[in-house]
Amino acid sequence: LRHIQLSKSSSNSIQAVRPMILMPSQQMKFSSQVPEKQTSTDVLHLSKNCIKRLQEISSGSKFLRVQVEGGGCSGFQYKFDLDDQLNDDDRIFEEDGAKVVVDVESLEYIKGSTIDFHQELIRSAFQVVSNPKAEQGCSCGASFSVKL
Amino acid sequence: VQGKKLIPHKAPLVLTSNAVQKVKDLMKERPDMIGVKIGVKTRGCNGLSYTLDYASEKGKFDEEVQQDGVKVYIDSKAQLTLLGTEMDYSETALASEFIFNNPNIKGMCGCGESFNV
Repeated sequence: LRHIQLSKSSSNSIQAVRPMILMPSQQMKFSSQVPEKQTSTDVLHLSKNCIKRLQEISSGSKFLRVQVEGGGCSGFQYKFDLDDQLNDDDRIFEEDGAKVVVDVESLEYIKGSTIDFHQELIRSAFQVVSNPKAEQGCSCGASFSVKL
Repeated sequence: VQGKKLIPHKAPLVLTSNAVQKVKDLMKERPDMIGVKIGVKTRGCNGLSYTLDYASEKGKFDEEVQQDGVKVYIDSKAQLTLLGTEMDYSETALASEFIFNNPNIKGMCGCGESFNV
């Protein structure tokens, strides 16, 4: 109703008025999109290899804990552990029985990345790959610096 | 110089029993290959890092190390840096890797992947 009134009142300023009227609806659309977006980048992805390996090694209530610590040649480094103790600030990512746990603080640095179990002749180990927050890190992938 | 005996030299690379076993396992997966080959690559934050591949044939300048039935070839470029190195293999639930205990190295990356000599 308000829309019609306004556009009727001054046909000259329709162009100027319209955006103003559209604004609230746009904002609403935008704000409803934001949470969705956040949840999609908040997740950790588990690669097939990672799931397979976790199913092999984690028996019972054991899970893979990923932490981010200061250290390494690029400032931060990933730390992997098998753990069975959950803390209050932990977030759990589960897929096909494979469980990865990250505390909220560490998650800030690795959300959106993929946890992979990388296999090579010389070494096979868990890795954090395609971390959107990490600048190019150490070649081994154990250490990284954070994009500002 | 004539008649001078060749001094038997130390094996350029020694494998631990864990490493031998792992190489054997690797060879079972690829029976068409004759061994594994170790090289070094300029990579990593400390200059060099090790590489490991299957070898289908002995390269012209490769050094061959035979131990307990496994064959390990050392790339010609890696021979100097690897001299006297012990090759070990460690396996845990989270990671399994070959470890090179190299007496020649001067520095190492925090993660142990790259080194300089």
